[in-house]
This record gives sequence, structure tokens and C-alpha cells, in this order.
Amino acid sequence: MRHFLKTMLLLLPAFALLSFVANEGKSVNDFSLMNTNGKNVGLKDYPNAKGFIIVFTCNHCPFAKLYPPRLNELNSKYQALGVPLIAISSTDTLLYEEDTYPMMVAKAKNEKFNFPYLFDEFQSVAKDFKAQKTPHAFVIWKENGKWIVKYSGAIDDNGAEPAKVKNRYVANAVDQLLAGKQVEVKETKSIGCQIILRK
Amino acid sequence: MIIHSIKLRFLYLTTALVLFFSVNSAIGQYNALHIPDTLSGTTFNLNMKDSFVQFRTGNQTITAGINGAFWGPTLIMQKGDSVHMNVHNFLNDTTTLHWHGMHLPAVMDGGPHQTIPPGTIWQPYWKVTNNATTFWYHPHLHMKTEEQLIDGLGGFIIIRDAAEAALALPRTYGVDDIPLALTSRSFNASNAFTATSAYGDYEMVNGTLNPEVTLPKQYVRLRILNVEMERGYNLGFSDNRSFYVIGNDGGLLNAPVSVTRVKLMVGERVEILVDLGPDAVGSTVDLMAYNAGFPLGFPGGEPNTTGPFGSLLNNINFKVLHINVGAATAGAITTAPTSLVTNTYWTAADATVTRTLNVTDGTPGTPFYFDHANFNLATINQNVKLNNVEKWTVVNNNIFGHSFHIHDVQFKIISRSSGPVSSYESGWKDTYYLQIGETVSFVAKFDDYADATHPFMYHCHMAPHEDGGLMGQFVVTDAAGVAATEKANTDFTIFPNPANTKIYVTFADPLAQAYYIRITNALGRTMYMLPRPQLAGGIDVSNFARGTYYMQVTDEQTKQTTTKQFVKM
Repeated sequence: MRHFLKTMLLLLPAFALLSFVANEGKSVNDFSLMNTNGKNVGLKDYPNAKGFIIVFTCNHCPFAKLYPPRLNELNSKYQALGVPLIAISSTDTLLYEEDTYPMMVAKAKNEKFNFPYLFDEFQSVAKDFKAQKTPHAFVIWKENGKWIVKYSGAIDDNGAEPAKVKNRYVANAVDQLLAGKQVEVKETKSIGCQIILRK
Repeated sequence: MIIHSIKLRFLYLTTALVLFFSVNSAIGQYNALHIPDTLSGTTFNLNMKDSFVQFRTGNQTITAGINGAFWGPTLIMQKGDSVHMNVHNFLNDTTTLHWHGMHLPAVMDGGPHQTIPPGTIWQPYWKVTNNATTFWYHPHLHMKTEEQLIDGLGGFIIIRDAAEAALALPRTYGVDDIPLALTSRSFNASNAFTATSAYGDYEMVNGTLNPEVTLPKQYVRLRILNVEMERGYNLGFSDNRSFYVIGNDGGLLNAPVSVTRVKLMVGERVEILVDLGPDAVGSTVDLMAYNAGFPLGFPGGEPNTTGPFGSLLNNINFKVLHINVGAATAGAITTAPTSLVTNTYWTAADATVTRTLNVTDGTPGTPFYFDHANFNLATINQNVKLNNVEKWTVVNNNIFGHSFHIHDVQFKIISRSSGPVSSYESGWKDTYYLQIGETVSFVAKFDDYADATHPFMYHCHMAPHEDGGLMGQFVVTDAAGVAATEKANTDFTIFPNPANTKIYVTFADPLAQAYYIRITNALGRTMYMLPRPQLAGGIDVSNFARGTYYMQVTDEQTKQTTTKQFVKM
């Protein structure tokens, strides 16, 4: 009878409360994750890239669902300038069937993603970046052979109403870096669904 | 085509959200009070999901709702009905759903043990035996209750019965019978909810900031719930008019009680009748919180506006709801009844068992406990024998007020060390204000539902306090039944296998029963959680994907779990 309670207890999630972690200025590692076309993609596959826009997102989160058109726009504009966008899904697929690889493939096709949408099956890249929410955007820049985080947080300041966006955080950061300037807003809070890390 | 329809649906959804929760831009500009939709009947489908709401100018606020974006539908149940709940967790997290106030089996109660993983359907059911009243439902996941309540999860339950229906009371939902869930929220610079303080900065009723409502020029019934994290409300009207309290947490009083103020703590409900008959059409009156001047210990009486217990609403009188008086309706209630129902309450003399709990610890910065024991999911703190009438005394010789709640029962408050028990809280209660320095006793009967495995909870309903460990648990056991019977053969068969639409479970011993069935898929994802499933009609697996599944059956008598595999084709 205790045994039954114990099995119920095992189902409780980890209660680790993620605090707001300062990401700006730290370096992140290259990775190699499977894209929705079945091929692996990593930073080294872009030898001419000056930087990247890395967006942790997923299929199921209502707030993440608002952004694919804006991700396509960001990639169309900045890939040509040497700053491609890569989207990564790191959510726990045991919890969210909608985030499993076959459904990622379907979403990338249906919504005509013009950027890689990578499956972070073991959540290792999310842990390295300390990605917290979907969507959570990072702008990373190459400095002395390392990838340094220059911006971490929200993509912009209005999810549901793109026309009312006042601060295009990611685009502003990339524009400033391309102009050789410091990023003005280096960190904002990412808003959306928590990426729950499996133990 | 698919993209197109998804986009359209999103546009529709966004527009609907904006219409429902219109932007609160300037002080003095009211928003129409949201009246939650109702669900009635005997089967209730509740989908818990993440969402977002346009609460303020700028970015949307991430929320969670039940069948909607924030808060949930009002469930209308009839006393005597057997109700079946399909609770589907689409959230980004594990949760539970507790039926606050309801007398039901512990395994259906939705406490911290009945965790529902994401993607899972939980199907509790019970017979409604409570009297006509206002209950509510909310998540109860230990250490996550505050977070999930702040996100917006919860809803009202209205129970109707013949005794209430026979009275001339307002009961047209949304017209002269209005549910009001009172809370407050704070926002950060990106408009996300914050929990840096136990108290919000902006008053919110039914998910509407700065709300107004038009009510008819007649007697109006307000069903008021305090769904704050900690704040108490000292409710009254802006012109100090008197009004009647007609019901407490567990049902109608014997007779209306005329008051000008009512204190309402977290988790408590009060039903009031207010007479708008003498008011002119077009005039206004405000429902107010007269929270100014309370000493430390009253939750929300703190003087500070910032910090962990700070709020712009602390220790001030503030507007809760702006009421515009409109034309009377046909069939308006124009007189208040002089008597309501006949309650037979327990007295101290009925109690055969006495228990005492002390609120301890809680030195500034540390959690409160009962009797120095942090809440532990694996520890049963109290054993109650079925059909006991017990007197529980809670002693709060400590630094702050609390809101004490016990599951399973409705009780009668018999004494308060601070003075006589107010007549406005003389009815059936499941939650009460335990003031600083106060000792309160209540009497309750623990009848109908025994279960040695699944406990019920008692706790402070202030979410940061219960999450911090000011909670205990009790089992109700049936002394007669346990040792006497032989162990049944718990072997069972499942058929057909492979299954297409339904799968049936048959025990080798006809006396054996399932206490719990959990079905998981090959990856370990939980599909169904079925407490004491009614197996005669089979279990519907028609919406499962093809593949292998595991059925874990826990036997009622031995609580042993046996797993069998089946294939869905």
C-alpha cells in the first residue's frame, strides 16, 4: 500500500526552479543535431558565418506557434549577411508527443521553414546554452575562434501582434554587431513555455 | 490549405482573446467583467492548457486556462447526480485538479498524490452529495500550487439542489447571480506575471483587470471566491450599504445575516445578496476591499509597496468591482427571504475524538509548519476512523494569519479565542480565517469514504504557505473491513487483444476490483489515469495510435499492481 504511494511519488516532476541566468558574454559549444531533412547540422557547416541566431522553439507551445513567419523573415534577411538562423527543439518528447521528430518534420514542411529545425533529443544543446523557454533566442558571434553569446532572450516584444512590435531585440542585436557596435540590449526575459529538462 | 486554416484559426483566437480581455490601458477605464462560460450535465470535459492573454498594452502574458486562456468554465452540478470528469492535461507541466469543498473518495480528490502528467487524461467520478453552494476547482501539485494558480488555472463549481431551488433567490447565472473570483497580479517589464511578492499590484476579477459590470435594479446574488495567493479581503460597498450573507463555503445559512463588511480569506467563498432595487438606473456603486488600517498579521495589511510582501494594494481601501445599475429583469427578486434552509450542525458535545494542530516555525524567511513537521507526501499525519465526529483545534501562536482548509468534509466552527464566531460564518465551512494569535476549533463528521491508501489534505490555503510545507494529510479508514476478509485472487485478463475501439478487463475473482488503472504507451507516456474505473463498459482506446500499450492494474484490496501488455490496432 505504501508501494502504491511511492510509485505515485516517482511521477512527480523535478521541482528545480530555474532562476534567471545571465547568459551574455559566455561561450557556447558547437553541436551536431539532426535537421528535419535527416541530415546533421552544426555551426561548423557554415564556415563563412560571422554569427548565428539560435532560436530554441518547439511545436506545441502556443507562444512559439506565433513566431515561424518572423523566423523565416529573420533568416531571409540575415543569412545573406553571414548570420544564419538555426532553430532547435529541446523539449521533452516523452511529455509532448507534438514535439517528436516526425511532427517536427511535418511542421517544417507545412510552415515552409527556410532555416534548419534541429532535434535536440538529449537536451544537451539546451543545457549548454541554458535555454529556458520556447521561444528563447540567442545571438552568438565568432570571437577568437569561439562562439560568444551577445544576446539572450525574447525575439521581440509582442508575440501575438507582430504589427505592434516596438523592440526587435534579435534584429537590433544583429544589426549592431554587423555595424561593429556593442549590443545595446544584451538580455531580455524569454517568454513562453518552460523547457523542462529531464534529469 | 492546412496552413491557411491554422492561420485563420489563430486570427480568430487572437481576436476573441482581445475581445474577451480588452486591454487595460489607463486607470479609470473599466473593462467588462468576464463571466465564465458554464458546463452542466454529468460529464465534464476539462482541457488544461498553456495560453496567453492580452492583459496590457504591449506583449501578451503567458497564462494557463481550462477550456480557455485564463481561469475555467463554471461547472453546474445537481446534488444526487453522479458526475464524470475527463481532465486532459495539455499543460507544459505535470498538474493535479482538486475539487475544493467536495465530499468524495480520496482517490478522486485531486490532491498532491493524483498527479496528471502532460498529455494524460485523468477520469475521476463521484456522486454529488453536498448541498447547493459554490465550490471551486484548482491545481494542487505540491510546491507548484502557487505557480499554477498564478498562471490562471481554476474555476467555479455551482451545486444546485431542491431546497435551494424552492427559495425565491436570484439564480440566473450571469444576470442576477454572478460568480466573482477575486485576485491580483503583478507584471514585469515584458508583461509576464511575477511572483516576487505574495501580493499582486493590480486587482483582477474573473481574469478581468479593473472590471465593471451592469447589474439589474433588484436583489442580486454574488458568489465571491478569494483566489489570491495570500491577500485577505474585508469586503463592503462604497456607500456602506448593508447586504445579506446567505451562504458559506458548504451551503446556505439558516437565515440571511445582514452585514456591512465581510472578511474573506484565500480559498473561502461567501454568497451575498445585495439590494440594488432602491438604486437609480444609471447610478453606480463599487464593491470595495476595506483593507486599510489592519495591523500586521492580516494578509495584505503590510505597509510596504515593494519587496517580498509588498503591493500597491497593501493596507489601503481599493476598488474590487465597479457596478453600474441597469434596468430590472422580468421575474426580479425584490425581497430577501427571512429564512433559508434548516441546517443541523455538529456541536462540541458530538465529538468523540479531539485533535490539536499548532502552527509553528515561520521565523521570518523560513516556512511555516504544523507541529514542526514539514509536509511530506510519504507521511500520514492523522488517522481518522470512518464515521468519527471529531473536534479539531488549530492554534496559531505565531507571527501571521492563515487560511485553514481541510479536504473531504464541511465543518462547523464552534469557537474562536478572539471572541464569538460571527453569525456570517455560522454555516458549513471548509476554509476559515485563522488570525494571528488565535485558536479556532471546528467539528466535522468524516463519513462515507474510507481509503487507507490515498490521504486527504489539511493545509493553509495561502499558496506560498502550503507550497512551503504548512500542510498535513489524513487517511480515513474503515476499521471493520480491513482485517476480516480474505485476499482475493487479483489475476485479470484483458480482451480483445489486439484491441480496436475498447478493451475490457475481467478479474479471475469476481470479488476483485480495480483501485487504479494506468495505461502507458511503449515509450512510457501515460495515456489514461483511471481511479476506481467502472469496467463494465470497457475502456475506450479508439483514439490511441497503433502500437503496444501497458495496462497497470492496482487491485482494490491488496493494492498490488500487475502490468499486462496489449496491442492497439
